[in-house]
Amino acid sequence: MSGAAGDGGSTGQGGFVRSRLGAFRRSRAISDAAFSLGVSVVAVLVALAISIGVIAAFGGPPWASLHALWTGAFGGRSQIAGTLNKMIPLLLVALGWIVAFSTKRINIGFEGQILVGGIAAVVVGLKVHAPAPIPLALGVIAGIGAGGIYAAIPAWLWARRHVNEIISTLMLNFVAIQLVSWLVRGPLQEPTRGFPFTSPVSNAARWPALLHGTDLHWDFAVALAMAFAVQFLLKRTSFGMRLRVTGGNEPAARSAGIRTRAVAVVALVLSGMVAGLAGTSLILAGATGTMTDSFSANYGFDGIVAALLARNSALGAIPAALLLAALRQGGGVMEAQVGTSSALVQITQGLVVVLVAGSGWLIYRRRSVRVDTDAPAVARGPERPEPTAAEAVVG
Amino acid sequence: MSDAGADARRTAPGEDAEPPALRMRGITMTFPGVVANLNVDLDVRRGEIHGLLGENGAGKTTLMNVLYGLLQPDEGSIEIGGNPVQIHSPRDAAALGIGMVHQHFMLVPDMTVAENVALGLRSSRPPLSNIKQVAARVDELSNRYGLRVDPNALIEELSVGMQQRVEIVKLLYRDARILVLDEPTSVLTPSEWVDLSAVLRSLVAEGRSAIFITHKLDEMLSVVAVCTKIHDGEVVGTVDVGETDKAALARMMVGRDVVLRVHRPQLEPGAPVLEVEDLSLVAPDGRAILDGISFEVREREILGVAGVDGNGQQELLEVLTGMRQPTSGGIRIAGRAVESLDPRAFTLRYGGAVIPGDRQHLGLILDLPLSDNLMLRDFDREPFAHWGVLDLPEIRRRCSELIGEYHIRTTGQNVRVRQLSGGNQQRAVVARELHRRPRFLIAAQPTRGLDVGAMEFVHQRLIDHTAAGGATLLISSELEEVVSLSDRVAVIYGGQFLRILDRQDIDPQVIGLLMAGQRVGAR
Repeated sequence: MSGAAGDGGSTGQGGFVRSRLGAFRRSRAISDAAFSLGVSVVAVLVALAISIGVIAAFGGPPWASLHALWTGAFGGRSQIAGTLNKMIPLLLVALGWIVAFSTKRINIGFEGQILVGGIAAVVVGLKVHAPAPIPLALGVIAGIGAGGIYAAIPAWLWARRHVNEIISTLMLNFVAIQLVSWLVRGPLQEPTRGFPFTSPVSNAARWPALLHGTDLHWDFAVALAMAFAVQFLLKRTSFGMRLRVTGGNEPAARSAGIRTRAVAVVALVLSGMVAGLAGTSLILAGATGTMTDSFSANYGFDGIVAALLARNSALGAIPAALLLAALRQGGGVMEAQVGTSSALVQITQGLVVVLVAGSGWLIYRRRSVRVDTDAPAVARGPERPEPTAAEAVVG
Repeated sequence: MSDAGADARRTAPGEDAEPPALRMRGITMTFPGVVANLNVDLDVRRGEIHGLLGENGAGKTTLMNVLYGLLQPDEGSIEIGGNPVQIHSPRDAAALGIGMVHQHFMLVPDMTVAENVALGLRSSRPPLSNIKQVAARVDELSNRYGLRVDPNALIEELSVGMQQRVEIVKLLYRDARILVLDEPTSVLTPSEWVDLSAVLRSLVAEGRSAIFITHKLDEMLSVVAVCTKIHDGEVVGTVDVGETDKAALARMMVGRDVVLRVHRPQLEPGAPVLEVEDLSLVAPDGRAILDGISFEVREREILGVAGVDGNGQQELLEVLTGMRQPTSGGIRIAGRAVESLDPRAFTLRYGGAVIPGDRQHLGLILDLPLSDNLMLRDFDREPFAHWGVLDLPEIRRRCSELIGEYHIRTTGQNVRVRQLSGGNQQRAVVARELHRRPRFLIAAQPTRGLDVGAMEFVHQRLIDHTAAGGATLLISSELEEVVSLSDRVAVIYGGQFLRILDRQDIDPQVIGLLMAGQRVGAR
């Protein structure tokens, strides 16, 4: 502790330190966004540190593992491309979550919405024969539409039949999983009937490469643009304000003339549309261009982690998705090179969830501090009226 | 009534042989940038009801949170019955016999009274609960103090006044010696208040003590023996209520003279703006919530609706603002029959404005910035939005206008409304609703929980709105507020307007009787 900061009194020291800490936490000098970012960064660092500890505790090589994780994710052109490619569905699902959750509706049906989006894309990619950009465009639109329709089912059930959307979206995942499973073994199975996947979609339905010779395609740019679009939608448009107001206090929004039920339904459908877009990317920008069993690869849930890590900020979801994508990409390399199980990545991810969720109170506290001085506001003149006037009455 | 002597001691405070029930000395509590309590002293004797006065945010609640162990003071000491104590948590406070009735009750709505009382208690036969024993004891306590609480009733089925009694029973069950009541009367009807004050008197007659936080001076005068005023975190003074009068107390409240009777210019009412005919609302279970209500409010007129909370006021507001559809009856606004009303048409087509009774529930979005709250009804219209895109500079400009014009104290527009005091929150609601110069205003409990300064401000705005040609329907359970502001007063009871009194007939006595459901002179 710096000597100058210590105060004269011996008893006041603890309180002083405490109040300085508090002052830092509540300081208006740093913006809420920067504060949230800081909390998330610290949470990630702590999660990584604990993960290293776990490796060491089980006799693994912590530093070599970490190195392998890093080089696996960012070690070269193709690794970086792979990381960015994995980032696309994570980012899109995070955006879907953010849109729905801005009205406080919880969509955990992204897996299902990804799957139906992918089905629509693969059907268009297989059946539509047209010059280059048309099958791709149609596939993407069909996937977005399919995701939206699939989310409209729980949205309708919620609005009209009071069915909890958390349960219905979750359950519809299983329906979609079975649907894909049947399609790749039945109507859409490749011609030899030997493997549970479809034929590759036509080249005209594929996303063109962004980095030649790698997995990175132009859908990456679309996903990034979506992040900015969602940010703009939520913060700068009157529709976004309707979403935020509905999520903030539904009765108050209703009393202000907002049709909150309709707003929430639209938010859920939009959320499903973005997930459907993620599904089209997994097919139309995939390495093989085929649809396989469970091609959603849990992106529908990991993307929610990205949104959580970003604290529901659309722009914040970009670095959050990048981090989770890097863990996904690097985890496999780590397992192959140094033998540390890639399940460790899931530990890290789980720790991030726990830490970020657990640190929410820091932000809540910061937002709950009274800022007004509460002197009678009709009083003119100095900020704080001198107490002498009141004392005179009593004395 | 084991200790009748305590009551005598209260009336003769000179002889202070025994130590006070509670002594707080030099309590200082700072938050960064704010000194919430500075060197506060508070003495509460046995058998005393001690009033704690002060504006919103003056530091009363902070002081009580220190007493209740929710906050640890930077400095200061607390003695209970002469013994120095450290209170680190509400559990410590409860063990020391300190009990608190919070302004917002801490009850589980879908549990019974007895279950709520038993919450947090150790069972005598763990892990089994002994609800029956608890219920029997609740019954006994409730009879002894005239609380009339049914231990087996569900909380959600009880009126607010009843719920408050449950809170008191909870404290008595734990044998609290010092009861802290934070704004206990803000939710009570006059008759419930009479009951509560009787209960309080019988409690202190037993040698318990009570600390009573309120804004309402009448109540202060009627039960409180000693009163301490806090301003800006410091004790301004402590007075014996017997030696002071209402005006002096009011001056002490704000440190300046307050006109309790707002100045109302005499206005000539114009054409009817809001006409309601035979309005009824029937609940799904067949209960009539609103029963054949008819009235009209004219330009430049305030129609007061007096009544005890829960007699259909909230539902009347919801029907009139389009939040709910009536079962039958007609509404005419500015001479036009209203086919169907929804909140959007209410404001946009018919020019209505509403100050909802529960501002935090219906009026504001606490976690959104002040600017969003101020723009809640306007953000999707020109000039604040073009083609669905918000015009942020224009919005900022309008908000700073409103903040200035309505004296909203805030450090900025991006402050979340949760971070403002009740008075400033209400100013924000009033600013949003009245700046559009609405044709008519429906204001429910517009000054509930506000300090005198904010209350006066709201009253003045209601009068300004009316004087400018607007019609006002003022729904309030504060008799004084209704009587002093209204041109005519309707009394609502059991979903009916028992009577509508013209200005010359307004008599608080009569209204009081009507509010209690007695049909005075109605034959």
